[in-house]
Amino acid sequence: MIDGKTVIALLGQPNSGKSTLFNGLTGMKQHVGNWPGKTVEKKEGSFFRNGKEYIVADLPGTYSLSANSDEEIITRDYIASGKADVVCILADSSQLERSMFMLSDYAGIEVPCFLVLNLADVAEDQGKKINADALQKKLSIPVVLLSATDNKSYDGLYKCLDEALKEKTVLNADSLISEYSQIEGFDELKGLIPAGIISGYSTNWLAAKAIEGDKIVRDKLSQALSGSDKTKYESIISNTDKGALKTGESKFKWIDGLLDGVVNRVETKPVFGKFDKAITDKRWGKLVVILVVIGGLIGSFIPALPLMGVGMAISALIPPVSSAMTSAGAPALLTGIVCNVLLQSLAFIVQMLGFVFGVTLVFGMLEEIGVMARISYVFDNTMGKLGLQGKSVMPFLVSFGCTMGGAAGARVIDNWGQKVLTIALAWAVPCGAAWSIIPMLSTMFFGPGAVLVIIIILLVMILHMWVTAKVFGAKLVPASERYGMIMELPPYHKPKWSALLRYVFGRTKDTFLRVIKVVIPICAVFWLLSYSTGSVEESILYKIGTAIEPVTKVFGLNWQLFMAYVASSVGKEGAVGVLSALYSGTGTVFGAVTGANASVDNLNQLLLSNIAKPEALAFMMAVTFNVPCIVAIAATYQETHSAKWTGLIAAYYTVVSLLLACIAYHIGLLIW
Amino acid sequence: MSLSNMSKGAEGIISSINGDTRFLSRITSIGLTPGCKVKIIKNDKNRPILLYSRDTMIALNKDECDNIMVNTEVAS
Repeated sequence: MIDGKTVIALLGQPNSGKSTLFNGLTGMKQHVGNWPGKTVEKKEGSFFRNGKEYIVADLPGTYSLSANSDEEIITRDYIASGKADVVCILADSSQLERSMFMLSDYAGIEVPCFLVLNLADVAEDQGKKINADALQKKLSIPVVLLSATDNKSYDGLYKCLDEALKEKTVLNADSLISEYSQIEGFDELKGLIPAGIISGYSTNWLAAKAIEGDKIVRDKLSQALSGSDKTKYESIISNTDKGALKTGESKFKWIDGLLDGVVNRVETKPVFGKFDKAITDKRWGKLVVILVVIGGLIGSFIPALPLMGVGMAISALIPPVSSAMTSAGAPALLTGIVCNVLLQSLAFIVQMLGFVFGVTLVFGMLEEIGVMARISYVFDNTMGKLGLQGKSVMPFLVSFGCTMGGAAGARVIDNWGQKVLTIALAWAVPCGAAWSIIPMLSTMFFGPGAVLVIIIILLVMILHMWVTAKVFGAKLVPASERYGMIMELPPYHKPKWSALLRYVFGRTKDTFLRVIKVVIPICAVFWLLSYSTGSVEESILYKIGTAIEPVTKVFGLNWQLFMAYVASSVGKEGAVGVLSALYSGTGTVFGAVTGANASVDNLNQLLLSNIAKPEALAFMMAVTFNVPCIVAIAATYQETHSAKWTGLIAAYYTVVSLLLACIAYHIGLLIW
Repeated sequence: MSLSNMSKGAEGIISSINGDTRFLSRITSIGLTPGCKVKIIKNDKNRPILLYSRDTMIALNKDECDNIMVNTEVAS
């Protein structure tokens, strides 16, 4: 209970349709946060029924309740804490035997629960007939068949919910316990465990986990026992070999018995269609994945366009608002803040938000259909070398377009450390903004040699990603957490559009709110630093830039280049505009960053006569590998929920980009 | 023979699984236990193995498949 509201926790293996059910129950009333003290995402939502409010907690999707990952520990601690009034356990009707494992792992936990056999429509198509009533009798908890994608089928679920709450139905696991009793040492171990030693768990559950080798349970028991009991306990434990396998066998025997007379066993055949053959092909699979992602990116521009249009419209508002404010006699400072800070950053954010919207939609769709799991399979080996999952390839490819989209796309990675590492590496991928200035600059300075510059940038990118994976990988994805792929490739499902769209809108709104909180203050600071009523020399940025020029010269950056570099941390597309403003003495630096003023006509001549080749090379390196932009930084914070890691990665990128500039500059000096 | 040596289309029954606690608990929770029937869908170089078991298509890292022994004679 929370403030008199009933709390329902959703528990189920990945692909059991848990998110679909969560979305179906709660609609737009969702909230994404963090589990206290943990980096695992916590999804909560609510719904009203018969005038009563229910809170739905979406527990992390795990395969079991063991102690192998943060997600699993959070899940079982949450259940044992009694915060949920009832636990809704999901199983996949089309793979009933396998997906009942979660229920068997729950057996022995005394929190009231009920069982939802989801994807009932798929099972029916397979020719399976499931007798939920028979199963209900065997388990002593309400059982219901459901198609979470069909809103009309929720009545049965609500009935089960009411019954479970009213009767406080606890799962009957007697026959599973008799299976466990045949494992050597189980009964003896059970006898040693004092009741209520860890609240929420029965001695049966604890004994089974101790047999399995569950480290947390074993440590707790070891502390709680003393004297001869402890000696006995330790001897049983040391005699137990491969306990997880033994309890696993018991669980499946139990499930087998349960399903007898409940479902007609139809032998299913693996479905492996043309697309599966193509995407998993030894030679062409990777190409197919890249084509799918590119297709997805192009597709994601379509839903992105309206938002991008809104962003541009806001941008177009700036000149009229500015002149209106000036003619109304508003002070220049106020006009500056409203137009150059608020409207300008809003326009900037909304335009990029379009991309986030598109990417979240397309990635969400690929995941729901089941394509994402195939991509993971194809790139498992390659990404595994960086300590990542195969899915990480998606954010990397997206980052060639927009790093913010890449960060948003990293959401599909279910392990926090791997997600942060993926985003950290995605930053090294030059984004669309970098591609809009680098080819232009390198052609200007190096003519046909520009091709070489671009190849060098791509090679540096690969090296950068490899080094960054080493630098952050040890901490984010420790060797003990790197394990090979054990993953289900789910059958293809039709996406549920309404739920998906609701989710995508909610997600985009969350990103917008969080990003705007970060971006506006930073824009304001930058604007103040570059503020001047007349010439550039009045601005604080100029004073700092010229003061530290002796240092920045070591990296090959004179004060103008360094200021353009600093400006590129706000947005890379603005870097050339800043140079234009500084060398020609026209326009404002801030306007240049956010793209408000156009470059001067004789920009080529200006740059060529003021910047030497080694400096130009250094500048390109510095800008390309600088932090992506403030919006992407804010999106990284939104996805990782960690200010510490976001700051750390940003600092690292600043240092590395200057280092790369320094190397490029000095190599350049040797050549030219 | 070990799962990693089985070729496409081969079927068998898992006879034993070795590995640390973490691996054992993960592999059982996805449904692979001794006595369970498996069919190989794909076994390509440098890719995880694709197999079908308990109505489910599962991708498994190759190194870990070395630890799963399969009896291929009993399968019909």
